[in-house]
Amino acid sequence: MASSLLSKMGALRLTPVAVYTQASRTTTSKHWDPKFKKLRAKKFLKVDLPNFNEDFDTMSREKLRQKMKERGVLPPRPWMERPFYISATGGVFEPYVPPEGDGKASIVSASRAKQTVELLEKKSKSMMAIRKIKSFEEDFDSKQFAGIAQDIYIKAHESLANNDKRTLRLHVTEKAYPEFRHNALHKTIHWKFLESLEPPRVVHARCTDVISKENIFGQVTVRFHTRQQLAVYDRFGRLIHGSEILAKDVLEYVVFEKHLSNLYGTWRVHDKLIPDWMPPKDPSKLTRVQPEPEPEPEPAADTPAIADK
Amino acid sequence: MMNVFRDLCSTACKNVNINMFHTTPVSLAWSKSVLPKRFLEYNKKVFPPQALGEETRPAFVCHQLTNIKYSPEKLWYIASLVRGMTVDEAVKQLSFVNKKGATFIKQAILEAQEMAVKQHNVEFRSNLWIAESFAGKGTVLKGIRRHARGRMGEVRYQYSHYFVRLEEGKPPKDYYKREPLTPQQQLDKWLEQMRKRKITNSY
Repeated sequence: MASSLLSKMGALRLTPVAVYTQASRTTTSKHWDPKFKKLRAKKFLKVDLPNFNEDFDTMSREKLRQKMKERGVLPPRPWMERPFYISATGGVFEPYVPPEGDGKASIVSASRAKQTVELLEKKSKSMMAIRKIKSFEEDFDSKQFAGIAQDIYIKAHESLANNDKRTLRLHVTEKAYPEFRHNALHKTIHWKFLESLEPPRVVHARCTDVISKENIFGQVTVRFHTRQQLAVYDRFGRLIHGSEILAKDVLEYVVFEKHLSNLYGTWRVHDKLIPDWMPPKDPSKLTRVQPEPEPEPEPAADTPAIADK
Repeated sequence: MMNVFRDLCSTACKNVNINMFHTTPVSLAWSKSVLPKRFLEYNKKVFPPQALGEETRPAFVCHQLTNIKYSPEKLWYIASLVRGMTVDEAVKQLSFVNKKGATFIKQAILEAQEMAVKQHNVEFRSNLWIAESFAGKGTVLKGIRRHARGRMGEVRYQYSHYFVRLEEGKPPKDYYKREPLTPQQQLDKWLEQMRKRKITNSY
């Protein structure tokens, strides 16, 4: 019994060797002798099959150079120019610092005392800036402007909610446009302006010249205390932020900008100032996997310079 | 057969002409894309917001791999295998399929899963199943082979596209309807059919 089993095992061990030594053929249309394989292959015209999914990003520079030479493609021209938009500034100059706790923090606190002194300084500068704006726009009145600003503010947000890019461009500067549209792709936004809790007021104004002395931009910061409703839905209509039935009180410092030297310039939303003391945002409704921290770049080892021989 | 040869010759001739008049290579000339694009359009569809009590709509993501050097006929078998499986199960099964096409399908599914989590608001990456999975015909290049008596044969070098749609949630219990109905279910089905009968001229 045991011997027969052993013999069987031995046979098993031998089988693969037998398979390799003797070519077993199943197809009968080919010659049994493999020496004709080469001749059979010669019947086909050699065709260079293109790889449509070539990954150029992982290729080495030499390989890429070789591929470009094969196809007769010149290396792309390096793009050294920096695009520059000159009808809006790229930031807020001398931004308004919203007072601690919206001006209701204890007078005894050090930061509050410091801020009151600074505010007095800034107020005179704001007056100068408003005077400058008036030289370009005769009927500029800071009280009236607050009302106009609120209209612009509402229109900008409504056009964002309606996904109306053309109207949004009229009410928002080029700097603020991508910030407005950020993360809004394929989302449904329901936004409602309910009421103004306090009349909006101008808190800050600045003017600056860019490039030449006559090219002047005006920036006015308006404080809004309003009640709003916001509900954001994802692509599948599922609520991801806010609520359809909950109204929230919103305190905002919005910067409006106008190209004063431009005859056809308009006041547009430029930025929103977010103070440090603002309460943290609501957390996202989804749980996410924390991305792996990026490996720190190793400090380049100082190799002693080798002189050319 | 002669047509194939003529086509090959004519393209060669055309290239020569183009090279005479233009200094840039032919490969850089603009040509319309022939890649499938309608399938990915489903990723851009925005659904209306749901009311509070409504059952949440499952998220889905469409993904495609184009012009894979593999026969669409062979790819179809593997595409059908994973249909109706959860993503984890499909990836596990595909790693044991000893075919070239299995690697492409596995790659497509993993890419789609990544997209679902990063771009399409899917919370858990394992909570996805393969709702659609099919292969399509891509570019076909033709070659020549020799036959006896000075004849020629056509060789087709086929490329294929692979399409996959992952949906959020659990897969249906019996996707291919393979399980037979129980006697009770058969009776219920018959009863339902009988009740649904239309009696002509009744009303």
